[in-house]
Amino acid sequence: MSETAMSDRSPRPLVEIRDLRMHFPIHAGVLRRRVGAVRAVDGVSFDIHEGETLGLVGESGCGKSTCGRAILRLYDITSGSIRIEGDEIGTLGQDALRPRRPRMQMVFQDPQASLNPRMTVARIIGEPLDEHTTLSRAEKRDRIYELMDAVGLNRNFANRYPHQFSGGQRQRIGIARALALNPKFIVCDEPIAALDVSIQAQVVNLLEDLQDRFGLTYLFISHDLSMVRHIADRVAVMYLGRVVELAPRDSLYGAPLHPYTQALLSAVPEPDPDLEASRRHIILKGDVPSPANPPEGCNFCTRCPQAMPICHRIDPEMREPRPGHFAACHLHDPDHIPTAGSTAANDQPQQGE
Amino acid sequence: MFTYTIRRLLIAIPTLLVISLIIFLVVTLAPSDPTANLPLSIPSEVRAQMREALGLNEPILVRYLLWLRQFFLYEPLHMLDQAFGLSLAGEDMQRILSWQTRSPVADLIVQRLPQTLWVVGTSYVVGVLIALPIGIASAYRQYSWFDQIGTFVSMVGFSVPTFFTGVLLIVIFSVHLGWFPSIYDTTLRVTDLSTFWLQIKQMIMPVAVLALYNAAQISRFMRASMLDNLNQDYVRTARAKGMTERVVVLLHVLRNSMIPVVTVIALGVPTVFGGAIITEQVFKVNGIGQLLIIAIQGGDVPTVQTLTFIFAVLIVLFNLIADVLYGLLDPRIRYD
Amino acid sequence: MRAKHALLGAAAALALAPAAFAERGSDGQVNIIYWQGPSTMNPYLSGGIKELEAASLSLEPLARYDPDGNMVPFLAETVPTLENGGVSEDLKSVTWKIKPGLLWSDGTPVTSADVRFTWQYCTAEGGGCSQSEKYNDVADVETPDELTAIVRFSVPKPYPYGPFVGNQAPILQAAQFADCLGPKAPGCTSANFMPVGTGPFIVTDFRPNDVIALKANEHYRDPEKPAFSTVNFKGGGDAMAAGRSVLETGEYDFAWNLQLAPEVLDQMAAAGKGEVEVAFGTLVERIMVNFTDPDPKWGERRATADHPHPFLTDKAVRQALSMAIDRDLLTEIGYGQAGRTTCNVLAAPEIYASEANEGCLVQDIEGAKALLDQAGWVPGPDGVRQKDGMRLSMLFQSSTNAVRQDFQALIKQWWSEIGVESELRNVDASVFFGGDPGSPDTFQKFYADVEMYANSFDGTDPEAYMANWECKQAPRPETQWQGNNMPRYCNAAYDALVAEMAKTGKMDERIALAKKMNDILMQDYVILPLVHRGRVSARATSLGGFVMNAWDSELWNAADWYRVK
Ligand SMILES: Nc1ncnc2c1ncn2[C@@H]1O[C@H](COP(=O)(O)OP(=O)(O)OP(=O)(O)O)[C@@H](O)[C@H]1O
Ligand code: SF4
Ligand SMILES: [Mg+2]
Repeated sequence: MSETAMSDRSPRPLVEIRDLRMHFPIHAGVLRRRVGAVRAVDGVSFDIHEGETLGLVGESGCGKSTCGRAILRLYDITSGSIRIEGDEIGTLGQDALRPRRPRMQMVFQDPQASLNPRMTVARIIGEPLDEHTTLSRAEKRDRIYELMDAVGLNRNFANRYPHQFSGGQRQRIGIARALALNPKFIVCDEPIAALDVSIQAQVVNLLEDLQDRFGLTYLFISHDLSMVRHIADRVAVMYLGRVVELAPRDSLYGAPLHPYTQALLSAVPEPDPDLEASRRHIILKGDVPSPANPPEGCNFCTRCPQAMPICHRIDPEMREPRPGHFAACHLHDPDHIPTAGSTAANDQPQQGE
Repeated sequence: MFTYTIRRLLIAIPTLLVISLIIFLVVTLAPSDPTANLPLSIPSEVRAQMREALGLNEPILVRYLLWLRQFFLYEPLHMLDQAFGLSLAGEDMQRILSWQTRSPVADLIVQRLPQTLWVVGTSYVVGVLIALPIGIASAYRQYSWFDQIGTFVSMVGFSVPTFFTGVLLIVIFSVHLGWFPSIYDTTLRVTDLSTFWLQIKQMIMPVAVLALYNAAQISRFMRASMLDNLNQDYVRTARAKGMTERVVVLLHVLRNSMIPVVTVIALGVPTVFGGAIITEQVFKVNGIGQLLIIAIQGGDVPTVQTLTFIFAVLIVLFNLIADVLYGLLDPRIRYD
Repeated sequence: MRAKHALLGAAAALALAPAAFAERGSDGQVNIIYWQGPSTMNPYLSGGIKELEAASLSLEPLARYDPDGNMVPFLAETVPTLENGGVSEDLKSVTWKIKPGLLWSDGTPVTSADVRFTWQYCTAEGGGCSQSEKYNDVADVETPDELTAIVRFSVPKPYPYGPFVGNQAPILQAAQFADCLGPKAPGCTSANFMPVGTGPFIVTDFRPNDVIALKANEHYRDPEKPAFSTVNFKGGGDAMAAGRSVLETGEYDFAWNLQLAPEVLDQMAAAGKGEVEVAFGTLVERIMVNFTDPDPKWGERRATADHPHPFLTDKAVRQALSMAIDRDLLTEIGYGQAGRTTCNVLAAPEIYASEANEGCLVQDIEGAKALLDQAGWVPGPDGVRQKDGMRLSMLFQSSTNAVRQDFQALIKQWWSEIGVESELRNVDASVFFGGDPGSPDTFQKFYADVEMYANSFDGTDPEAYMANWECKQAPRPETQWQGNNMPRYCNAAYDALVAEMAKTGKMDERIALAKKMNDILMQDYVILPLVHRGRVSARATSLGGFVMNAWDSELWNAADWYRVK
């Protein structure tokens, strides 16, 4: 994989992730010794271009959040490289990172849990200003009001506590907070998952709106494939700590290459009833293996409907069967050409309604 | 919050009345005889006369009502009299008298409060002061050596009985090294540096024993609460904001973790007044705890009744204080 | 044993000598620890021994008992007796003369009015006086003059030393307690805590169950005493800690009542800071033999005189049981220096102790076997002796207590060596001694063949104690199982001696009677005495003048204490 392997545009990407790994130690026994590791993120590489939204999808527990947090260095990563605007932050210490934090921010899944319950909205939004700017009190207050306006929060609520807001409002606080230091890059970790459907659209629209106004770049984490289809420019699919497919939105939704993506997409309900009726669901058997003990060969081989003997031995590499469309599957490996090409996915699917 | 507090206080009154009745019944109906510990040579007729003189022949209800009147009316009046040199209490307003000493129970309590507050109170404060940093550090470096040692020490402090640690300390520091007295002198008055030093010397061992025990409990609470909060998203938010680790841990995590810990600490305060029965016995501190145990052994119903009721009041009160504190510390809780 | 006491007396006299040159208050503070803290200084309001002892520092009776159990005058000039005319011939009045010039600690004179008042105080209606028994049958106390008090009894009192003698009946100051009669007694807190006294020390601060601070009484009758200026009397903790504070850390000068295992005491004493003090009162650990049949087949009437015991009524068996016991070993194992072997149930005071039964001191297994052989009890196939189909198999009960269970095991072994089988049983002390007539497990019901416990009597006069084994004292359904004659012993000759003692006033005659009764019980093997148990306390080596006393307060001579320099 070359330096530019996963970029399809010429300008240097804003974010470059290479072979990122995040393993959590497992402690057990009386003395709580380390007995193994959860490989929550296990060799992930991709780029994000300035101004674009990269969707990151996958089942619960596949490592999406960990990946997002690791990119922002909320964890001390196990290995790999993270470059933001060409600046390597993967190996920096927390102290060295701190001045770089304003450039990259995060919006969390649970707006309640992500806001310190003992701080008022003004303090939550204003705290990073204290740390990273030299604004006067009045300037800070103005900035806080400005941000509240930007996310559509009533200024009068500045001295309230998070619990005094609705879920949607809380997520707006979270977004305002993330915007406070004028970041370029925001990781949105399922920012709408905890919200009512009616409010989800509002928040997504707000995010899109803010992206236009401030030229933001998003890593948009979600397991809601239709929402990702709506917001993302490109989409990465994760399974068990790895990215298995990465492609521009239309290419991915139109013609998924990886059997896992195909299964995921087959589960998305079609708005069109006729199409829905004719759609075939691919039902995956078995449970997701434990990230502490991933299977040998292809991570997906235990559940893949098209698994081949080689899949149990050799880990498939990321390839680019179509321009800009990457997938890690032996089905797309010219050395292991199976009976059929990319359409093979539909040959022996599990039938179901 | 204010109306809530008032409401809670009002509810507390009937609750305490019921508690007082239950305590009275339990203490009175328990098969204990104030003359049981007397030498066998005192004949049973004399014992019967002694019991009669104690008022044991009155019906239970009469005794209970008398006690209520004494506790809520006579005693406060006598206290006012003593404090301000008044004479509000009438001649016939008999105070609650201990059966063992035949002196007012309130005086006994007042007499014993200083040593209990000194020893048990100090040990509570010391316990909390060492528990908090240990709990914080253990949680922050979970599974580190520090945490393992902390866990072990807590386990020891919690499970080794204080009579064992107490006697162990006495054997080492009083018998072998001769550094500290093995018997607490309750009459010691701290007037200058040298008496202060004596006071410190006689407090060190009982305070150490109790502080270890208290610290063991509270540090575990602190650790658990810190761990709960360390993994919260708002902590990540704080880190993502680029706050220094100190700010993250001390301002964000600690302040939130302190909410349950503060209430646990507040709930533990009544035990300070209750004294520490075993430790007081071991070091002869002779505070409230020893008063209670002696009264129980001697079948001294008025003393047991009054002490346990005061504990009940303190427990109810500190429950309320804990709740109010919780409300003050945690903006999510609203009582009105 | 007499020689030993004489020596002890001599030692005490020697010890007293240097104190005579001391000046009052010149020896600083003496520290006393009672692991049960006194709750009042008024002995009439609490019958507890700890209160009696504490009070003895301030309050004094007309006469006390010395370490040999002899009366010595304290506030009185002499002890009145029949011989010196102080006791009337009809045994119904006693005339006490108070030492002239005695002052209370507040400087007022001690008069016979105080003596009279003390009687009134303890017998006042509604006061619940714990020592009222001492004033039984007192009809009046007359005060013909300031220094004379005549105690008049309603019945003849051969032993008239109940009132105003010993630490249970000290004299109170009438002026201080005048308003504290009857129901008002408990309200007089400051009087009860800080009594005006005649003793060597008076209270300056009293903290119930915690600490008593006392200082030398300026008006004490001997101007040179006490040598100590203050007393720190600490209470609380346990016997172990109290012993430690005297014997190991040396923080205290005297620790009272150290009921500890012999080896623990020895170990503490090895530190060399103090000495263990032992004094023997009347407490004797003994085995009672049941003369009646406890077999359940007799129903309600089991263990009553209706059904004599099938084999324990045979004197040979009882005697053999006694001969098989090694009393020396028991004493050494169970009590160490706090016990001594005895062959008398009336082992003290010294003057009453018989020397006619010393044979029991030597264990004689072979003799016991021969005795049983002679009596026709021959070993059966299982080694247990039998006669006419009756096996020597017994139930042996006692209260639950580590030492007693050790004793039971040893005795069972010795008895099995002579061919007597025994089954052991122990009952919780609160039940065993509880006296509940509904319980089958009390020592009075005695639903066993033999039982072991300790008993003593109060004071030095054995009259009431020896009357315990009168026939009519046997517990039985008619008496709600109350009574002290556990063996259900019934001997007309013995009962006649009891009656005689009740009307004999002359001391030497009383002594002879008591010894005779003891010898009957011993030589008939009704009671098998095992160990004479003593009181154990500890004294710092630097505390001089201390003389241990089992018959009065252990602090009885605190006026003579001094600091060894
Ligand atoms: N701090 C941690 N310690 C140990 N294991 C962790 C930790 N955080 C996450 N994991 C594990 O890593 C794996 C990935 O977790 P992650 O939260 O990244 O999943 P996710 O894809 O975000 O799931 P979801 O959609 O449910 O949020 C899970 O198996 C999880 O149990
Ligand atoms: S490599 Fe094999 S197992 Fe893995 S997805 Fe492709 S076909 Fe399935
Ligand atoms: Mg997640």
